[in-house]
Amino acid sequence: MRRTPIVVTATVAGLAGVLVFHTTPARLNLGSPSTPLEPAQNPSPDPAASQPDSAASTSPASTSPASTNSGGSKPGGTKTADGPVVNYNYGNLSVSVTVSGGKITKVGIASLDDFGDARSEEIDQESIPILEQQAVQAQSAGIQGVSGASYTSQGFEQSLQAALRTLGV
Amino acid sequence: MGTVVTIDVYTTGGQADGEIAAQLATARAVLQRADAVFSTWNPHSPVSRLRRGEITCSQAPEEVRDVLERCATARELSGGWFDPWAMPGGVDPTGYVKGWAAQRALGAFRAGSISGVLVNAAGDIASFGGLGGGQPFKIGIADPASPRRLAAVVCLTGAIATSGTYERGDHLIDPHSGRPAARAASASVTGPDLGLADALATAVAVAGPSGLALIEALDGYEALVITGDGTLRWTERFPFAGGP
Repeated sequence: MRRTPIVVTATVAGLAGVLVFHTTPARLNLGSPSTPLEPAQNPSPDPAASQPDSAASTSPASTSPASTNSGGSKPGGTKTADGPVVNYNYGNLSVSVTVSGGKITKVGIASLDDFGDARSEEIDQESIPILEQQAVQAQSAGIQGVSGASYTSQGFEQSLQAALRTLGV
Repeated sequence: MGTVVTIDVYTTGGQADGEIAAQLATARAVLQRADAVFSTWNPHSPVSRLRRGEITCSQAPEEVRDVLERCATARELSGGWFDPWAMPGGVDPTGYVKGWAAQRALGAFRAGSISGVLVNAAGDIASFGGLGGGQPFKIGIADPASPRRLAAVVCLTGAIATSGTYERGDHLIDPHSGRPAARAASASVTGPDLGLADALATAVAVAGPSGLALIEALDGYEALVITGDGTLRWTERFPFAGGP
């Protein structure tokens, strides 16, 4: 019986360097204290590449930023902050960052204003994945990644940085 | 760097999970170290201090000298179109470091029960192996005119980097004029090393279609250029999945 590859996706923020584990569709127990996972099961024998689970998909963040930390969050405490609205290539956006126990667990788009640009209308803010690439990927079965067209323009990074500073990360 | 990096590990079932977790931890440490040394967002990083003239190259960590040497090589190979010394504010190796760090993070993984790994740093991707069973990774190249559509799909062996105006706005500097310039909406380069592919993609995005000849001359590297009118041009062996 041919085994299908199991995908483990770890998201590492270059800044604070924390791993968020996505699993599709089987789950691996990697023994990480911050993300307990269920034991592996046999994945379904689907030859098409599995798409990464949007396990860390972000809900629209609250508009009130977290209070400033004095250097390191409490272990187990979870805070979310939105960075300032900045200009990106198709309009304005702000980035949302969630930190738990001093580690980044989610990065997403908090707000997006494309000034009514029709081609952006279909952007789903409920599940905007990191860097937009996963959305394109999800729509396109059979690819494992996208090169280019990420929203990590300087604007995105500025908003992300500011949000991280607010959280004291 | 402020860049979110995604690492996808493809394995066959029933393997040493602890081993993979350890390799992921090593990869993370590599990225954290690169960020600590090279981040121009962090005013206290060695590179920020170097840019302000507070320290000299010889006082900076060894990785900085290593990276600057590689940048010099990339500048030569790109015919001067990639030039981190032509950046306003002092030498800025950021265009090289993102790919360089991702490539080093990839080095934390060993085959064995792993059939393939993708390290994706905001669209710059380093990889080895594939999906398993001889199936290569397939990577989409975003359409610069329409961010949620693909202009092409490639079979990836090694690395791919894409640079373009839509990605960096005005920040591509033409080293020959010193002013913002881009002659391609998007340029993608594939090859064995992501650091170099990253630098070459930046170079070709500024040079435009005339940069393709440069890449043709480089063994193992291929390029695709998309101009503002949506036209695609590529080097002879650009690895389209199933033809252009």
